[in-house]
Amino acid sequence: MPLSARIPAALAALTVTATLAACGSGDAPAATAVDANGNQVVTVAANTDFTTPVQLTVAKVDAIRAKLPKAVLDRGTLVIGGGAIPNGSPPLNFIGTDQKTLTGVESDLGRLVAAVLGLTPDVQNASWQNMFVRTKSGEFDVSFSNITVTEERKQQGFDFASYREDNLGFEVNKDSTWNFDGNYGSFAGKTVAVDTGTNQEKILVEWRTKLQAEGKTLEIRNFADRNATYLALASGRVDIYFAPNPSIAHHAKKTESTPHPSRSAGSFSGAGTTLQGLIAATTKKDSGLVQPVADALNHLIENGQYAKVLAAYGLSDEAVTRAEVNPPGLPINNS
Amino acid sequence: MTSLSPPPTRPAEDLLGRLKSTKVVPLRHPWRWVAGAVALVLLAQAAHALITNDAFQWDAFGYWFFRPVVMDGLLLTLELTGLGAVFGLIGGVALALMRLSRNPVLRAVSWGYVWVFRSIPLIVLLLFLANVTALYSTLSLGIPFGPSFVEFRANDLLSFFVVAVLGLSLHEAAYAAEIVRAGIISVDQGQLEAASALGLPKTRQYRRIILPQATRAIIPNYANQLINLLKGTSVVYITSLLELFGVVQTQASTNSGQIIPLLMVGTVWYVILTSLLSVAQYYLERHFSRGALRTVPATPAQRFRARMRSLGVAR
Amino acid sequence: MTAAVTVRGAVKSYGANRVLDEVDFTAAAGEVTAIIGPSGSGKSTLLRAINHLEPLDSGFVAVHGELIGVRAHRGRLRELSERAILRQRSRIGFVFQNFNLFPHLSVLENVIEAPVVTRGVAKAEAVERARELLAKVGLADKETAYPRQLSGGQQQRVAIARALALRPRLLLFDEPTSALDPELVGDVLAVLRDLAASGTTMIVVTHEIGFARDVADRVVFLDAGRIVEQGPPDQVLLAPREDRTREFLGKLR
Repeated sequence: MPLSARIPAALAALTVTATLAACGSGDAPAATAVDANGNQVVTVAANTDFTTPVQLTVAKVDAIRAKLPKAVLDRGTLVIGGGAIPNGSPPLNFIGTDQKTLTGVESDLGRLVAAVLGLTPDVQNASWQNMFVRTKSGEFDVSFSNITVTEERKQQGFDFASYREDNLGFEVNKDSTWNFDGNYGSFAGKTVAVDTGTNQEKILVEWRTKLQAEGKTLEIRNFADRNATYLALASGRVDIYFAPNPSIAHHAKKTESTPHPSRSAGSFSGAGTTLQGLIAATTKKDSGLVQPVADALNHLIENGQYAKVLAAYGLSDEAVTRAEVNPPGLPINNS
Repeated sequence: MTSLSPPPTRPAEDLLGRLKSTKVVPLRHPWRWVAGAVALVLLAQAAHALITNDAFQWDAFGYWFFRPVVMDGLLLTLELTGLGAVFGLIGGVALALMRLSRNPVLRAVSWGYVWVFRSIPLIVLLLFLANVTALYSTLSLGIPFGPSFVEFRANDLLSFFVVAVLGLSLHEAAYAAEIVRAGIISVDQGQLEAASALGLPKTRQYRRIILPQATRAIIPNYANQLINLLKGTSVVYITSLLELFGVVQTQASTNSGQIIPLLMVGTVWYVILTSLLSVAQYYLERHFSRGALRTVPATPAQRFRARMRSLGVAR
Repeated sequence: MTAAVTVRGAVKSYGANRVLDEVDFTAAAGEVTAIIGPSGSGKSTLLRAINHLEPLDSGFVAVHGELIGVRAHRGRLRELSERAILRQRSRIGFVFQNFNLFPHLSVLENVIEAPVVTRGVAKAEAVERARELLAKVGLADKETAYPRQLSGGQQQRVAIARALALRPRLLLFDEPTSALDPELVGDVLAVLRDLAASGTTMIVVTHEIGFARDVADRVVFLDAGRIVEQGPPDQVLLAPREDRTREFLGKLR
């Protein structure tokens, strides 16, 4: 028997055990139902302990549906990717109170898009890196996961349909006296945590350059994940966490009654100093999905369901007026 | 004459005569008692600090410790560790034997394997395997480089669980190979000579003579490796599987007010699993020490019973 | 007198170092041959070549007329298969300087391992035979002990019993007493004497000149890979013809 024949045989043996541990990351049955008229009823902002669920009835739109690739139509499901493993970021994308279903404004928007397209949503959680690979390999039809449009990602083979802007904010410990006064000068001598590879990191680096020109310091710290960042903030190793505003508001609320409460210390436009950063639904380039997804998003915007989802999560400030296909992205790092 | 000058040795001899049947009092070690007491006080202090610091939020700890989602993660950790250890060891033994063989091709292949898989970070290996579908969409069964009989869609065959086990096993085998090889070469060369002088068949020489002796040297190192693996499974999150640490991380990111108690939940479970492994290691070592020590050490249970007997508590 | 062991033109080199240099040697059946010589003279190599633990570069070894480790094929000597060599070895007993008992097996298990595995002897029968042999070497009460619980002399006697368990037609001893404390040497030599008296063919590499004189039928003196002198013990040990033999013996006194 050739060697290559033996390896799959061994793998087959493994697969048997695999079913024991098959990890349920599918959609919770309660989030989407079908009413008597065949419309999908999507319950958004369900499965959390900080929002009030809202039921939205969504009729499928045949004109948009007609633009879907045949393979997706035949399959009847829309595989929606999320990148919240191991860490989610509430209220955007995280595991809900049932401790297993991917929840948040991102996956809810994905469910609504599926409803407009007349497809059954299949929400899958993945690690951040894996989400991109699986989107590119076509395993995920579309990923909703607070993904910023960048020129670099366009080059890597992705299409984008934008649906949200991100506003940034500053988080400090509750007993801190620091507040953002609208000017980068207030960071002098501070240690600031920021997530790597983000829009806000670029802004922070610019501020540091300016401060250094004035002979002042600004120390930037990157942590492996959000949990580590929050621990560093609580222990006083960093003074400020510069992050998306919704996450900060949410975390401040979550820590209210814990030994280490935090608070928001001001916000800042995600436009930064150069260009408005946009969050977008991400598909494999030229898969034929980006246009119908953008159309569905625009349909939701026009019908007001979009505003209701954002309101349910307290994110109305991040609303856009139109979904665009492949809008200008953050330029490739030139620093 | 005797009255004039008694021999000077006389009193000393008396003393020796009296002492020869006297018991020896061992040297007292008061500082040992002091050091012991200090250690106990420090330990008590640490325990007190751990229990009373409200940062640990022991009520939240209690809530999460037996949560089904944590249990699922724990089960996955155990499955990944168990399968990774078994397949890794099988692969490691094969690689070690290849490395020790007289066939230069096998030696080189084994060396190359160990070199490659010790160099590739586990997380990269797992990411690569998880997304092998992007590189090879079908795997086939057939003659090497020739026609294939059956084809599989890579996605169907390589579930994430399989990917994780495969990645951990490939990685583990490289380390196990070196541990097994070290065990085998620690066995005296004369053992093989004696076995072959008796005309024992080659496989018997290894199975009956070399491996049992090598195992003694292998166990402590492999136990170390196993404990590494147990905690190393946490990188499988990259394949989108959530084992114990992944679950703890995910839930902490949703419940960001409970990061510390959730990390403690993970830690305590790892402590429990490591302890169980250590106990298993102790008894395995004891089993394989047969013949290596003049007397096999007593088990803790046996020592406890002996102590009780000597105190007259039990018989 | 038939030849039990015939060595012809044995050559063995390690790199540039010629350990055996055209050695011709014959040992008669039922006789005890003692090989003596300074360390590094090639005596152990010669002994190990006899059961092919040390393959020769050229030349051959035959035991009772059967080539060991090789076969003649179209005028050349070709090495036999591993399996065939192992089968030949199982008919030749070998006792090592360092005993090389299997430390994880009990004394009894050490002795029955080879007969059960290589000869397919039933276990009960092998145990019975092992007990006889252990009694013969004076260790009847040690069968459940592990080798490390025994003294060096006792271990070497177990090793001899292990070699005898295969009922070999030839016994090779590689400095069997060199690793022993002086007071333990006597017990082992006594076992060797018994064996010699029973007519077993034995070749013994040894430093015990007294033993060689008392027990050996022939003494071979080896130096620098060549046989310098051989003959009856009285001749080689008491009235050597060669200067080098005399010099070597002089150093031992």
